[in-house]
Amino acid sequence: MTAPVIEAVGVGRIFETRGGPTEALRDLSFGVDGGEFISIIGPSGCGKSTLLRIVGDLVEPSTGSIRVNGKTARQARLDRDYGIVFQAPVLYDWRTVIENVRLPLELAGGSLEERRERPRALLRLVGLEGFRDHYPWQLSGGMQQRVSIARALALHPSILLMDEPFGALDEMTRERLNLELLQVWSETGATALFVTHSIAEAVFLSTRVVVMSPRPGTIDRIVPIDLPRPRLDKVRGEPRFFELVTAVRESLREDPALAAGNAPRAEHARARGAP
Amino acid sequence: MHERAERHSVEKLREYLPAAIVLIAGVALWEAVVFVFSIDFYLLPAPHVIFANLRENYALLLEAGLYTFTEAAAGYALGCGSGMLAAMAASRSPAFADLVLPYAIASASVPIIALAPLAIVWFGVDQGSKIAIVSLMTFFPTFISALRGLLAVPAPAVELMRSCAATPRQIFWKLRLPHSVPYVFTALRACTTLAMIGAVVSEFFGGPVKSLGVYIKSSASLFQTRQAWSAILVTCALGLGFYFAVALAERLAAPWQAERGEI
Repeated sequence: MTAPVIEAVGVGRIFETRGGPTEALRDLSFGVDGGEFISIIGPSGCGKSTLLRIVGDLVEPSTGSIRVNGKTARQARLDRDYGIVFQAPVLYDWRTVIENVRLPLELAGGSLEERRERPRALLRLVGLEGFRDHYPWQLSGGMQQRVSIARALALHPSILLMDEPFGALDEMTRERLNLELLQVWSETGATALFVTHSIAEAVFLSTRVVVMSPRPGTIDRIVPIDLPRPRLDKVRGEPRFFELVTAVRESLREDPALAAGNAPRAEHARARGAP
Repeated sequence: MHERAERHSVEKLREYLPAAIVLIAGVALWEAVVFVFSIDFYLLPAPHVIFANLRENYALLLEAGLYTFTEAAAGYALGCGSGMLAAMAASRSPAFADLVLPYAIASASVPIIALAPLAIVWFGVDQGSKIAIVSLMTFFPTFISALRGLLAVPAPAVELMRSCAATPRQIFWKLRLPHSVPYVFTALRACTTLAMIGAVVSEFFGGPVKSLGVYIKSSASLFQTRQAWSAILVTCALGLGFYFAVALAERLAAPWQAERGEI
């Protein structure tokens, strides 16, 4: 039995806002094994992105702790164990496509040969070798996000963190990029943590789907996805796919119902408490 | 490729055509108004009279123009240069930047030109006082723009750097500094105009005869308006040349924007 690659114990996060402290996450505990593809899904504002940022040591947890590859999240970040893809492509305007992909290698001080060859190989992997000298604005949204995926892979990260990377794209582009992402992921063997709003996307990509509750975010349910791999587009038409989509949808639905049931009661309590 | 370049230059020409027509029409109108209303030349000289004077006084105007432009350029280099350096220093501590930024913005709205007579007391009647005024006039706008550019980096862009374990030095050189380039050039372009104004108006308060400001002021007070207009035209030409030189530098320094047609 090997130790999980990502292990969260009692993770919580409270943000100080103008209206007082807001609890974004409460007492999350979970483990992710090496090579898994975990999707995190939940209603808006449930702290999905915060959870991803805590794992990547971009936000500190208020309570609990995270171990990544047997180290603290900070050490894992300093060891460059992470590759990150954000919702926006976050490409630097002043760098061409290949220069953007090269950035992590420059930061890590890779060899000259690596700096020359690795970005080329990565652009081939995401099918953009013909666009290496273009500037980001000359590319479509889908292409920009592919560049950002290539950049995330530059340092052979063992963990890929993706924060709704395809959220801004149209359905057709999104489905094509889902396929490409699966291919890239299986080639790299990285462990993936993927935040999304799309139930179908989560089911199609993942080994397990983590369903989160509304704020303060907790883990409601973890749905294992037993669809066979490699997953091709035809998986989306299979009965088992629909069953799993329904299972995830129902776990998501339970909560708003709960919140809706709670809200009037809270109102009553306040009304009664008022003089 | 060649065809595209050709079409590009034709489009460029078409772009500038309206401006050229307006210029020619404006000069023609000016000429016509002076002729039709038989306006005295000392009130408003006709364009052909000014052009004749320009040819006549060519050598003197060139010398005066060079003198004044040297002040403007030296003050500009000093003011913008130190503005950029100060912004780089201030950006190291956002808390310090927040502290000084309101004062910098307030200083930028002070009419520094009002200090010109004092500058003559402090730095003498020669180029020194004008360079000081121009430096002061160009310092604050450059400082403010550069500081904004260095600090207004989108949060995810910084997170990307952090996720790659970038050092603060790397974040500065590979993210903040290039991000500030368009901001800096916005100020650098605006400062070319400020520099010319600063130099010429400072000379109104005193300077050698062979400088544009003194020449404009003395010829105007002697009703030698065609001389004054000639010097004003030289000032305009120098200002435009200065502006376009900086715009060209921007194209070279920020090719990613030039290709997008944002400059």
